Amino acid sequence: MARYLAGRLPSALFVLFAASVLVFAVLRLIPGDPAVTLAGPDASPEAVDAVRAELGLDQPILHQYVAWLGDLVRFDLGRSYVLGVDNASLVRDGLTNTIVLTLAALLVAVLMALALSIGGVLANRRWLEAVLSGFNTIAVALPTFVTGTLLIVLLAVVYRVLPAGGTPPEGFASRPDLAVQYLLMPALCLGLPAGAALTRFLTESLRTQLEAPYVTTAQALGISRRRIVLTQALPNALPSAVTVLGVQVGALLGGAVIVEAVFAWPGLGLLIESGISGRDYPLVQVLMMLSVLVFVVTQLLTDVANAWLDPRIRLGGAAA
Amino acid sequence: MTVAEVEPAEGTTGRTWRRGVLLHGRGLLGLVLVTVVVAAGLLAPLIAPFGANEQIEGANLVGPGGAHLLGTDEVNRDIWSRVLFGIRVDLIVVFVAVPVGAVVGIAVGVATTMNGLADTLAQRLFDVVLAFPVLILGIGVTAVMGPGVVTVAVVIALAEVPVFGRLVRTSLLTIRALPYVESSRVMGAGTWWLMRRHMLPNSLEPLTVQLGVSMSVAVFIEGALSFLGLGVRPPDPSLGSLIRDGIRNVWQSPTFVVGPLVVVSMLVLGFLLISQALAAGRRA
Repeated sequence: MARYLAGRLPSALFVLFAASVLVFAVLRLIPGDPAVTLAGPDASPEAVDAVRAELGLDQPILHQYVAWLGDLVRFDLGRSYVLGVDNASLVRDGLTNTIVLTLAALLVAVLMALALSIGGVLANRRWLEAVLSGFNTIAVALPTFVTGTLLIVLLAVVYRVLPAGGTPPEGFASRPDLAVQYLLMPALCLGLPAGAALTRFLTESLRTQLEAPYVTTAQALGISRRRIVLTQALPNALPSAVTVLGVQVGALLGGAVIVEAVFAWPGLGLLIESGISGRDYPLVQVLMMLSVLVFVVTQLLTDVANAWLDPRIRLGGAAA
Repeated sequence: MTVAEVEPAEGTTGRTWRRGVLLHGRGLLGLVLVTVVVAAGLLAPLIAPFGANEQIEGANLVGPGGAHLLGTDEVNRDIWSRVLFGIRVDLIVVFVAVPVGAVVGIAVGVATTMNGLADTLAQRLFDVVLAFPVLILGIGVTAVMGPGVVTVAVVIALAEVPVFGRLVRTSLLTIRALPYVESSRVMGAGTWWLMRRHMLPNSLEPLTVQLGVSMSVAVFIEGALSFLGLGVRPPDPSLGSLIRDGIRNVWQSPTFVVGPLVVVSMLVLGFLLISQALAAGRRA
């Protein structure tokens, strides 16, 4: 296991390094003097010089890169020029909200996948299969900004049952009932495509399990289909679904940008949107790096989980 | 990014197309959805009752019906006309940006797969591009290039390069191991001749499935970037920016957003259905 991990680690580190060079380059590639851009259109020459000195833009480029990366690793993120707040605290607050949203979406996805796949397999009706498959295609296809907007129009504007956006004013812990109301639509919107992907995968692996010889034996022994599915097929189908879940977590974090913009949910996505519209490029760079880091780590964890579950991968063959 | 599964090729593209799309209920539905939207976009100057940015006296956030099929927006523009012209942005990203990205990806894949060092290098590069979630990639590119249709097209093309590069590589490696290629090599065929005559034609066919998926994803990316205000520059419309405008005015006019939503859904679903039917046609 340690050897497998040691084999995967260099390429992950390479991706992180190459991505950091690209993200670092973003601010330098923007046409014009970055210090002027960051200081704003009507800043005094002194203010521009102060920005230049603070960012080290007067230093050699390699020096700038090393200093930037060092700050990033130490989570010393500087101050936002636009908002005048500590970037680290912005990122921390945003990250908390994004994680809350992602976990809620994950819960939606898992519950949906378990219910639909087990329900579909247990019922074993052709028409239900067709309905579920059609629903699945639509759930995968529709962009989150479409489902999110639809949810808002229906549940917040036409039937005023849920708040259209934002987070509960008193925080999540003090009023759990309110927290659920605010979380419900964004979590549903974010979790739907992931849930559909997971449903399709779990249904297929359940069906594969049901064709295995041990199921025939169980049937011959007179054990009910319901019991076979729940106590035999499901435990065997679940482990591989876990690795699909790992891939979906990455997709959820990427999709959160849009869902947060739709529902005005103050997470990392909303932060990066305000960063880009306010030309707060250092903040945007931090957020870009963070999202790459999350992607690389989830990918690594998924691979490791795969290897742990399947000795064939661990012992070679997956090197390619 | 969604990636279609690749299986080694058999049969011709024409047959897959007939069997998959035309004879398959889903494929036909997808084809109809896409054709209707594409035709509406192409014919926009002929069928749109008003100009895309034309402001109409006294028609502020009017509901649907009467002279305005989908109503008017907050600065008195006809939403139906804006939707028709907005489709054209998606036509550019779907039928220009996706093919360009695909061709570049295929070219890189074909050029590097047969050479050990170049292959490793290309694969690591693809890793790096794929490590950026599409929207984050879009945000980075937009920061450098500024918002606009060209930027959106660049983002989409860039995102498709590694997808097609990977697929063509897998496909080539599978075909290379097939007996007929091996026997051809034993008979003295050169690498490039083999590539042109046998491997390339057979490895391209499974990519048609991915093309449908990628076109669906392109509509999503255009919509998402425009929704974030990083797409077309106002006042020009795109489907994504119309949804953005619609949600901003949702309390005054809840019907505003419905038209753009329906059109985006038709496109995204249509391309996905065609791709599913092609995949089914290949298996049949």
